[in-house]
Amino acid sequence: MRRVGLGVLVRWETVLVLLILAVGVWCRSLSPLFLTRVNLLDLATPYIFIGLMALGLTFVIIAGEIDISVASILAVSVVVLGQIYEAGANIWFAALVGLLVATGLGLVNGFLVAVVGLPSLAVTLGTLAAYRGLAFLIHSGEGVASFPTQFTNIGIGYVWGQQVPVALLVFLGAAVALGFLLHATRFGRYIYALGANREAARYSGIPVTRARIAVFGLSGLLAGIAGLVYVGFFGSSRADAADGSLLDVVTAVVLGGVDIFGGSGSMVGVVLSVLLVAELRNGMQLDNIGGDTQNIVIGVLLLAAILAGNAIRALQTSGLRTRIARASKKEVVRTAGQAEGTT
Amino acid sequence: MKLSPQTLAQAAFRLREAGIFIALTVAVLLFWARANNFMTIANWQDIATDVAIVAVLAVGQTMVVLTRNIDLSVGSIVGLTAYISSDTLAHHHGLPLGVVVLLAVTIGIGLGLVNGLLVTVGRIPAIIATIGTLAIFRGLLFEITNGQNVLAFQLPERFLNLAARKPVGLPFLAWIAIAIAIAGAAVLRWAPWGRDFYAVGSNPDAARYAGIPVGRRVLTAFVLSGALAGLGGFMFAARFASVDAVAGTNLEFDAVTAVVIGGVNVFGGSGTVLGAALGAVLVATIQDGFTLLKLSEFWKMFFNGTAIVVAVTIDALVTQRLQEALRRRRRAEMVAAREQGAAT
Repeated sequence: MRRVGLGVLVRWETVLVLLILAVGVWCRSLSPLFLTRVNLLDLATPYIFIGLMALGLTFVIIAGEIDISVASILAVSVVVLGQIYEAGANIWFAALVGLLVATGLGLVNGFLVAVVGLPSLAVTLGTLAAYRGLAFLIHSGEGVASFPTQFTNIGIGYVWGQQVPVALLVFLGAAVALGFLLHATRFGRYIYALGANREAARYSGIPVTRARIAVFGLSGLLAGIAGLVYVGFFGSSRADAADGSLLDVVTAVVLGGVDIFGGSGSMVGVVLSVLLVAELRNGMQLDNIGGDTQNIVIGVLLLAAILAGNAIRALQTSGLRTRIARASKKEVVRTAGQAEGTT
Repeated sequence: MKLSPQTLAQAAFRLREAGIFIALTVAVLLFWARANNFMTIANWQDIATDVAIVAVLAVGQTMVVLTRNIDLSVGSIVGLTAYISSDTLAHHHGLPLGVVVLLAVTIGIGLGLVNGLLVTVGRIPAIIATIGTLAIFRGLLFEITNGQNVLAFQLPERFLNLAARKPVGLPFLAWIAIAIAIAGAAVLRWAPWGRDFYAVGSNPDAARYAGIPVGRRVLTAFVLSGALAGLGGFMFAARFASVDAVAGTNLEFDAVTAVVIGGVNVFGGSGTVLGAALGAVLVATIQDGFTLLKLSEFWKMFFNGTAIVVAVTIDALVTQRLQEALRRRRRAEMVAAREQGAAT
């Protein structure tokens, strides 16, 4: 059983790699500049904030919940950061407060879900609107646009001979750290157990309430980190930050092979699918396709990914069922044979 | 004091309706005091027209939420059908309005069918499926408009007059909404398949074992939501006359807020059209007040979001209390029965 699951996972990630290559060929045909080292390294930079939110959402979805408020959390933390910096505070202090606010908003979601017992769908649908509104209530004008370079480097700077984007390193660093947290720690195992069967998790002594709150807090924190990269890349802190990015975030997670019903998924898959979404958007940009038309493609990709996942799972369980049936038939035959032998 | 479970539940519902009335009264008094053009007949007719669109969407959303699903794509369906309605009329001035309504509703049915099939046959959770179709439908609208707007002067007089007509003092669109609300309430109360929505939402497995075709009922709910969003699109076009590619954006939040504060349980299985309609009145009135007070669009978002969370929290707490009370009653009854048994 375990080997079957792992096999499909490996295959899913292979599919993602093949898709990345295929889209790459298409992009190359659109522009010969696509296959230059500079472009390849910079490809994902405008989408790193989406990738960071996707990493956080991965935990939430594996735990069997949903958080559609992440882009709004990002907006609040970005606006808070901008306002505090404008008030004359140190930029790193402002960034820290932004992260704390983002984590706090995530914890509010977690509290409402895990302690009050509300469905995460309704809670984060509500906070999606409420937090976005809050961001505008804090500051509705033009954002601050004069952040110091040492800070904006997070989003737009380069290291190692001005070749490698800092944002890419932030994303990969976060992915490695969170991959470790998800795949190699007790907390990570809790998350899978929660998503597979929350009641069973409770009975096996997992601190369910605390783990669920933590998952939403983590999602908020990642939205906050995404906010830092966002401010760095776009150089401004407006309340409409990341508006409309939810589709990409959810698509990245689901396309990465994370089961939308919880209980399974891997960090590697999500990282690959973030790169795929970034590459696809990049290619469509090259092809002069408008943003809202691009959304059709991403939306179809989201739905197709879940449909494919459901189909694979259906095949898997039907395969499993026939194997169980076959095994039990063998059992019956054997016991029948034994019965005959003894008489 | 002994209360039957039914009276307890009814008391909770009545409390909810009373709560909406109190909130409405407070909002009206507040806006009346702060905005001097709020308490005018013209403004109330405006509010009635806005309520009408939200209420029509809310009736469809009620059906979907009752089955323990959600339809976030209605804003995009409204935009799409609104544009197609007015664009068609702009090119064919002589077309009977009934045909245009039919066109809008048919498109709505088609889009609702897509949502429903994704959820039932494709087994995609409704929220994810409709986040996807929300983007896809909106993208299609951008493709169709190609950056063009339909403007009021391109439209025939009789269409422009439609929203301005006020039979018996109430805007024409409000009459449509009232008719839809009555029809929706009748379906949920008397039609067997309407009753099934409640069964499907309170316990899908039990509904299946009881022989209810769960998939078909969920599909029906999404199709109805799509159809009503199509009608809402026609009404939107009639109300605003000029329609562009962002028409109807975020309307899904108005509909969901109306439904949830109207007492339709997000866990599915309970709620009424009357509640959702009252919710729509509250949502539209507050938004009108915000506009008159020149508060930004985002106060509305903040209000919608907070209202959803607060209403869902109250629902959950009331449900918990109700269940506790029922459990206590049942235990008391069992004790009483045992004592009686011992006595005889």
